[in-house]
Amino acid sequence: MPAPPTHDADAPEVGIGWRAPHQRALLDQRPALDFIEVHAENFFAPNAATRAPLLKARESYDLSLHGVGLSLGSAEGIDPWHLDRLATLVAETAPRFISEHASFARGAWQGHTVHAADLLPLPFTHEALDVLCANVQRVQERLRRPIAVENLSAYLSWPEADFDEAGFLTELSRRSGCHLLVDVNNLVVNALNDQRAGRIDAPLPAVRRWLDAVPPDCVSELHLAGHHDRGDLVIDDHGSRVPLDVWRAYRHAIARFGAVPTLIEWDTDIPALDVLLEEAATARDLATDARNARAAETLA
Amino acid sequence: MNPALAHQQRALLDALLQARPPGPDAPWQGRGLGAYRANAHAHAERALFDAYPVVAALVGGEAFEALARALWHHQPPERGDLAEWGATLPSFIEAQADLASLPYLPDTAQLEWALHQASRAGDAPSDAASFALLETEAPERLRLRLAPGTVVVRSPWPVLSVLDAHLHGEPDFATVARRLRDGVAENVRVWRQGAAVRLTPIDDALARFEAALLGGHTLGQALNDTPIDPVAWLGEAVRSGLCVGVAPAPDGIDTEGEPPCPPTL
Repeated sequence: MPAPPTHDADAPEVGIGWRAPHQRALLDQRPALDFIEVHAENFFAPNAATRAPLLKARESYDLSLHGVGLSLGSAEGIDPWHLDRLATLVAETAPRFISEHASFARGAWQGHTVHAADLLPLPFTHEALDVLCANVQRVQERLRRPIAVENLSAYLSWPEADFDEAGFLTELSRRSGCHLLVDVNNLVVNALNDQRAGRIDAPLPAVRRWLDAVPPDCVSELHLAGHHDRGDLVIDDHGSRVPLDVWRAYRHAIARFGAVPTLIEWDTDIPALDVLLEEAATARDLATDARNARAAETLA
Repeated sequence: MNPALAHQQRALLDALLQARPPGPDAPWQGRGLGAYRANAHAHAERALFDAYPVVAALVGGEAFEALARALWHHQPPERGDLAEWGATLPSFIEAQADLASLPYLPDTAQLEWALHQASRAGDAPSDAASFALLETEAPERLRLRLAPGTVVVRSPWPVLSVLDAHLHGEPDFATVARRLRDGVAENVRVWRQGAAVRLTPIDDALARFEAALLGGHTLGQALNDTPIDPVAWLGEAVRSGLCVGVAPAPDGIDTEGEPPCPPTL
């Protein structure tokens, strides 16, 4: 398979989430992208037929394996079955990026260990940080490489807190050696919901404060997506174009962190592949501007 | 385990997984919790539909979604891969009085789950050298390895006809209705031939024989219980890829005993 058309080799790296509706189109068109992202669990079935499309795409693109079910923050620990499947997939596909969420879903319920199949928030406490660090380290030791851990969009918050979220994640990165994957859309969603709950006056300044609180050397990747405003609550549904406020926050993020690899996510009401590529092109343009601005500052 | 965090997480899981939303005095309630509960229901409906499209067609969209939500709260997932959730739907259906008018539904669900699992089973290349054991060892000392994901479904209902009619349009629904009315029993072997999942109708004797092999019986025990033509069966099983190898049975095994696990679904 030939390599995809290349763009400026020095341009910031941008990828898209590769979902089932685009499985054929991406392989046929091989658009210019720096990487593609898939949800790791969708390729857990241990047979060649399941993994064949991924390995085919891997011939043309760097791969990001993004997990949604590892439950890194679970007090019950990591499910060895899940980690085994992930480790096998990593060994077979040699991804460039591996990421998961600062969340939990696994726990005891009515005498059984269950998995709630969601990205549930953690309290930003010392206890939760200890558990999260231990679980992240276990995963990194098994995979023999650092992973990136993503901030959540959260619709509940715990009354107990020893840190704010940025401080909690920074400490996680410092102690475990993991990178941070900053989901800019999640920050905007949380800020919009905080505004509706009367906790803050304006969303964008709150997002900028969050970004300014995280050391740039911790951040390895950024995520961008759309959200849905249903009136009483803003939902992180990954079902529309990246909104203007998220682009504004993204500009701030890349001004601070540099043009780190950026992903366009789209998981519901998935449009034509070209729409995702347009969003990717916008991200690349903004990141290029940010890189040039930093270069100009350096020269000045 | 961190006991304080475990306690906090149990409380939130309970608010999400209990069938009724928590009341206004509960620590977790309101629109945020509602968003997570709604998301869980959407996951449940989608995951179960992916594994059970024919059951969904048989009971109808709204009833199936309600079934998925009820199963979610009754037996939530244990793994972080939703494709692994739903194995207990057949027995859950049996316990639903309002589905008793579709008595073939549990067996149809069994067959769909077997199909779903076979598509997700691992690969197992044929161990051709191991077949030499058939020449040197007695059948009582040998176990046959069938392709991963192989399951035998034995049903008093025409479950393969039901599945084929919905998934492939053949036979037509009038034929299926007639077979249901006549109580036509169908046995099916679900198995993987390379990447392809096969649904093969088999007669009673073969179903018992293959179920015995899958249940852990030695070749000799399975043949003793259900006499079939072993040469013809083995030839076809090896050629088709159903039988991928032969292994010696451990010494001291009680070949007259019960199989180590249920032989059929």
